[in-house]
Amino acid sequence: MIRLDPATANLAPPTVPGWALETVGVPHDADAAFRAGAALASLDSLARAQPAWAGAWRQRLALKCAAASMRLAGRAENEAALRDAWQLCPAGADPGPAGAIFGAWRQLALQPPAVSTDRLAKVTETLGLAWDDEAFADLCKEIEEVAGSPRPAPFAAAAIAAHVVAIRPEAELLAWWLADLVLAQSLRWPRSVPLLIVQAFGPAFRIEGGGGKRIRPGEKGFEHAVCLALVQAAAEACRLATELSRRSEKLLAVTPKLRAKGAGDVIFLLLNEDAVPGSLTTKNLSRFAARRLFERLQQLEAVRELSGRPTFRLFGL
Amino acid sequence: MSQASVRRKPNDQPALLDTELEHLPPELRWREWMGRTEAVIFAASEPVPREVLARVVGRNCNIDLIVDDIRAELAGRPYELVSVAGGWQHRTRKVFGDVIHAAFGAPAGQGTKELTQSEALVLMCIAYFQPITRGELSSFFGKEVSRDLIGVLRTQGLIASGPRSPLPGAPYTYVTTKNFLSQFGLDTLRQLPDFEALEDAGLLSKEKLLAGDTSLGFIGAQSDKSDIFSDD
Repeated sequence: MIRLDPATANLAPPTVPGWALETVGVPHDADAAFRAGAALASLDSLARAQPAWAGAWRQRLALKCAAASMRLAGRAENEAALRDAWQLCPAGADPGPAGAIFGAWRQLALQPPAVSTDRLAKVTETLGLAWDDEAFADLCKEIEEVAGSPRPAPFAAAAIAAHVVAIRPEAELLAWWLADLVLAQSLRWPRSVPLLIVQAFGPAFRIEGGGGKRIRPGEKGFEHAVCLALVQAAAEACRLATELSRRSEKLLAVTPKLRAKGAGDVIFLLLNEDAVPGSLTTKNLSRFAARRLFERLQQLEAVRELSGRPTFRLFGL
Repeated sequence: MSQASVRRKPNDQPALLDTELEHLPPELRWREWMGRTEAVIFAASEPVPREVLARVVGRNCNIDLIVDDIRAELAGRPYELVSVAGGWQHRTRKVFGDVIHAAFGAPAGQGTKELTQSEALVLMCIAYFQPITRGELSSFFGKEVSRDLIGVLRTQGLIASGPRSPLPGAPYTYVTTKNFLSQFGLDTLRQLPDFEALEDAGLLSKEKLLAGDTSLGFIGAQSDKSDIFSDD
């Protein structure tokens, strides 16, 4: 049975201080950087703590990022469609272009923030971009250089995004993906946290009085915008963490009441995945048992049904 | 000798092939590498990716420059070296398409049949709106898209099955393959004709397609569908 780790059990997820989120007027560069620092400090403890629900938290952030990337990729899928594409895809089948992009973000959240040419090549392909392999070696070198430089993390992330867009203007998706990776590398987080792209179309990147135009990586004021975006992104991530910690506490509280033999696996998956298909079967859990278990969990209000359908249900925290 | 074998191991090459060619002067070495690269691409039936070419040339040989030199040599020939689907392939030049068509009665090569107009239409629809099920295709075209037609596209390797659709019967959706990109000379799906224009017009979404002017699409399954993809 899974119990809350006593070291992290009492830890309420941190929140970004209210003064950092104030949006009155346009802050100066130094002001923006200072706020970003405050926000990242809150997020830092969360990204390192590895609470029981960290997996679900990262995967949900990855889903949000994938949904935000749809706009850049010129597709129309929303979060629910992406979740369906991923969960209903049989093993070994192609999840389609949108599902593949979700896969790339999931992969960012699952693996340590290290880069190799192989990983970059794979990610670029799943993001639906074309790139020649020679450039990956240069890009790897650039990433190491940027992450190793004494530059503060938000500026390193902005630098790598600007670098990618400078060599390939159409590869903006990869630029945002790498920005999150470099951010994690320079803050020495054990795993990346997908954050920035959600803000790409938000107020942080909007040009003041520019008629709704947004600041693209490498343009004037991009670093400033990244700092402000990080404050927003960190605040949203902390809010999500608070919500998930509350739900996971509830789930773990009802765990002793569950009598299904394979319940432990399901609880583990719920804490580590964005969604678990209702048709899940494992060695200890037949499809009938799984159905009963999810029904029971729903009765106890420990899980939510995420798809809103009566069939092909997907459960998650 | 043991040192030599140790050195070779991480390279993962057949021990017989000398790739570095250190005994040759630089120009001859370059010619040999060009020859090898072109031979490999010529002999392959599908686009050859960079990793494969890297096995036959030296470690510090720039494959892009090799390919550029080969292309320069092929300038006057009726065939060329094109980069498709993450690799390189020999293709006859487009202007000779009609000639080849006249000679064989059908496009030569690969033994694939030419797509009929309806097959091409369905393939186009899948490419722009993937993943999409046969039922959705049928409701868009206003007539049944037969399993045979899907089968023809599948056997040619242009489409593959993707995730299952959350509809009664869990039908498979269809997605295009890498082979599709290579056959049509595209690098990514974004290079499909008028992709950006359609995107700007907001026409690249399946529910728009199904709910469009044709108003044929509202059978029960589709109204479920539009609930799922409600926002846009």
